[in-house]
Amino acid sequence: MKLQLTDVTKRFGGRQVVNVPELAIGAHGIEGLIGPNGAGKTTLMNLIMRRLPLDTGQVTWHANGDPVEISRLTVEQIARLGIVKTNQIVQDFESLTIIDSFLLSLADSGFEKFYRVFSDKELRRQTEHEIAGYLDFFHFEAPNGRALSAGEKKLLNIIRCLLLKPRFLLMDEPTAGLPDEQKTKVMEFIRRKVAEDDLSILIVEHNLDLIWNVCEWVSFMADGEIIIQGPPDEIRGDRTLAEKYLGKDHV
Amino acid sequence: MDAFLVTGFTTVVVYVSLATLLHLQYGKAGIVNFGVVGFVGIGMYSFGVLTVTHQVPFLLALLIATLLTGLVAFGLGLLILDLDAESVLVATLAFATIVFHLVTTEKWLTNGVVGLGTIPFPFDFGRDTRFYLMLLLTFFAALIVFYAYRVGVSPYGRLLFAIQDNEPLAKGLGKPTTRQKLVFFTVTSAAMGFIGAWYASATQFLVPQIIGASLTFTVWIALIIGGRKRVLGGALGVIVTVALFDIFVERYAELPPDYAQQLPNLKLMLYGLVLMLVILFRPVGLLGERRVDRP
Amino acid sequence: MVDALVIGLLEAAPLVLAAMGFTLIYYLNGFINVAYAENLTLGAYFAVVLNSTLGWNFYLTIVPAAVLAGLFSVLSYLVVIRPALRRGVGQAEMIVLTVGLSFFIRHALRVVFGVQLYLFDFTSTSYLSVFGTGVTDAQTTALVLVAVIAIGFYLFIYKTGYGQKMRALANNRDLALVSGIDPTPVSALIWFFAGVAGGLAGIFYGVFSFVDYLMGWNLILIIIMIAIIGGIGSVRGAVAAGVGAGIFTAAAVLNLPTPLYAQVLLLFFFIVVLRLKGKGVRLFRMQARG
Repeated sequence: MKLQLTDVTKRFGGRQVVNVPELAIGAHGIEGLIGPNGAGKTTLMNLIMRRLPLDTGQVTWHANGDPVEISRLTVEQIARLGIVKTNQIVQDFESLTIIDSFLLSLADSGFEKFYRVFSDKELRRQTEHEIAGYLDFFHFEAPNGRALSAGEKKLLNIIRCLLLKPRFLLMDEPTAGLPDEQKTKVMEFIRRKVAEDDLSILIVEHNLDLIWNVCEWVSFMADGEIIIQGPPDEIRGDRTLAEKYLGKDHV
Repeated sequence: MDAFLVTGFTTVVVYVSLATLLHLQYGKAGIVNFGVVGFVGIGMYSFGVLTVTHQVPFLLALLIATLLTGLVAFGLGLLILDLDAESVLVATLAFATIVFHLVTTEKWLTNGVVGLGTIPFPFDFGRDTRFYLMLLLTFFAALIVFYAYRVGVSPYGRLLFAIQDNEPLAKGLGKPTTRQKLVFFTVTSAAMGFIGAWYASATQFLVPQIIGASLTFTVWIALIIGGRKRVLGGALGVIVTVALFDIFVERYAELPPDYAQQLPNLKLMLYGLVLMLVILFRPVGLLGERRVDRP
Repeated sequence: MVDALVIGLLEAAPLVLAAMGFTLIYYLNGFINVAYAENLTLGAYFAVVLNSTLGWNFYLTIVPAAVLAGLFSVLSYLVVIRPALRRGVGQAEMIVLTVGLSFFIRHALRVVFGVQLYLFDFTSTSYLSVFGTGVTDAQTTALVLVAVIAIGFYLFIYKTGYGQKMRALANNRDLALVSGIDPTPVSALIWFFAGVAGGLAGIFYGVFSFVDYLMGWNLILIIIMIAIIGGIGSVRGAVAAGVGAGIFTAAAVLNLPTPLYAQVLLLFFFIVVLRLKGKGVRLFRMQARG
């Protein structure tokens, strides 16, 4: 199961920010995408997720059976295919509690009909176990209230995405802003999910230690292009890379 | 129960229905519908034309009127629901104005200002007919309030809150936000048409004045005063405005004749004033904010 | 055919002024002021009172009535709008607030003036022939005045120092404050000008038809729509849209059996333009304080 990018380019006002002739993602459980600031990593993610229109090229989703060209779909449609992205900037629902957010993610379209007004009990019953699992593993201060700190909101964001049971998860700086114990917890949880469910992950991170520890495959991006791909040790050990990029812009 | 109170209470109950439906649209789904009277008008007049001019049986006419309103709402919603709040406000207001003008100028259909009547009652209990009609309308109002409450504690309501709160985030979770808003808008606006049809039966005689802008305005002010995000906001607001004026002041307050004649104008002036005061000093309305951890 | 066109254009000319004034407020404060409708009506009524009741020559009533309308506008800003903005009232709520103000004033006017129609009293009327249509000299004067004032406004806003300050405040409030522009007098001035523009529009519209308490309310939707179509935030756009609306109305009056269809058409046109402009995009951010 993977995503395939072909001839994907994007320009912003005359400057080429992304130029990816060929890229396959998702063949390995957890993959990383690293590179200096301004390399185009976030733009690439937004192109995949259709938050930005592509200038050229296609993004094809190879799931079960027929490949689907997703560059023409809307944001919601892509999410429903199982391709989900967490947000780098903290986003939240002001009027929902933490558990409400869980229930929102977990409710499928069958529950969300205007005439199904007695179904909340059923929904809660069905999802009790799963929600309890998440609440036990991560500790929220007030599950029946709102997410209070930026860290909690970030965590909530990640969990909302995981609750959708995605097939492919893009994570844009997932641990930035989280306290250290939560960082390890999140990574541990993700590893578990990848092993249990049919999930592939692509992480964009500046925290290189995290990448080396967690990823099985790393892509390096600079100036809008994928320079090199490989297992973490290879990328880490590449001399020219280290000199040219990591030394200068190591965050 | 004397005739004046029955009529007054019927009006109150109709407004409660409309205000609660507006609560659903604005308080829950964030749709700024300034064209309430447009949907009520379509329901009223299509029902009137069907029963009076074409002798269509009551229930069938009711069904057609409701469906027609829903259809129009669907069309309008398709065009405007993904625009920003201001545009929705202006477009719905323009829509209501169009309905009003349509009713006034298309005399061959609606009799214009001469008036359309006599619209039949659904049943005949002799002198008690109006009273039972009032009870029926009260039942509808209660039903709508109950629905509004249930929506607030259902997954669907949660989705609506999420959409109103942060629509892009909801989309990112795969929710079909535009489709859901459209469906909800269509259903609630059709309900406004439904109530309009019943109101036509209750008033028995239709003139374009009934569907002027002051109806929308009264519904809005009732909702804002009562609390737009609260299920009972509309009901409370209507009691404090319509019930207070149309029943108590008109019946029981002893006013000198000059004032009495200007009462409708003074009423609307007061509504305008109170609306401004509420928005300035207590925008959440009398019932206050909805608590996040409770509906 | 030509005479309908001429009449249509004449009727729409004052709307250009109204659109400009309306846009000024939107530009500065970022919300739709529905009560602007009453600005027009009040301007017209002020002129009517001076003209009919006090017996002044119509042309003498224009300036005082317009100034009174401007003062009313400033008053509504200071008493209602600014406090609301200070309390952080949101954009949708501001519109609802102005609807309340509009109903309040409109029905107060109804109490005072009743439902009858008022016409301006011209001591002498001579007709000019414009393209074969009879146009009174009052109407021609009105048209000329509208053009002159529109140009004058435009020049004031874009070419003078004070106009620059107004635009600076509207464009970027924080920067303007830092460069020493005092917001309250400048805002008040903007509201004054908008009020004058609206009052004049009301007076001239009254010249072409009649004055009643519903005059402004009947026009406000068209004004809002042409301001939004013209690209709110640009006075130039408002002028262009206003002129376009005039031509559009004239053509519609010509070709369509009833004004109803013209309204429907306008609404569709409005929706189409909005969708093309980029739906869902907020046209202008709200200023934090008035």
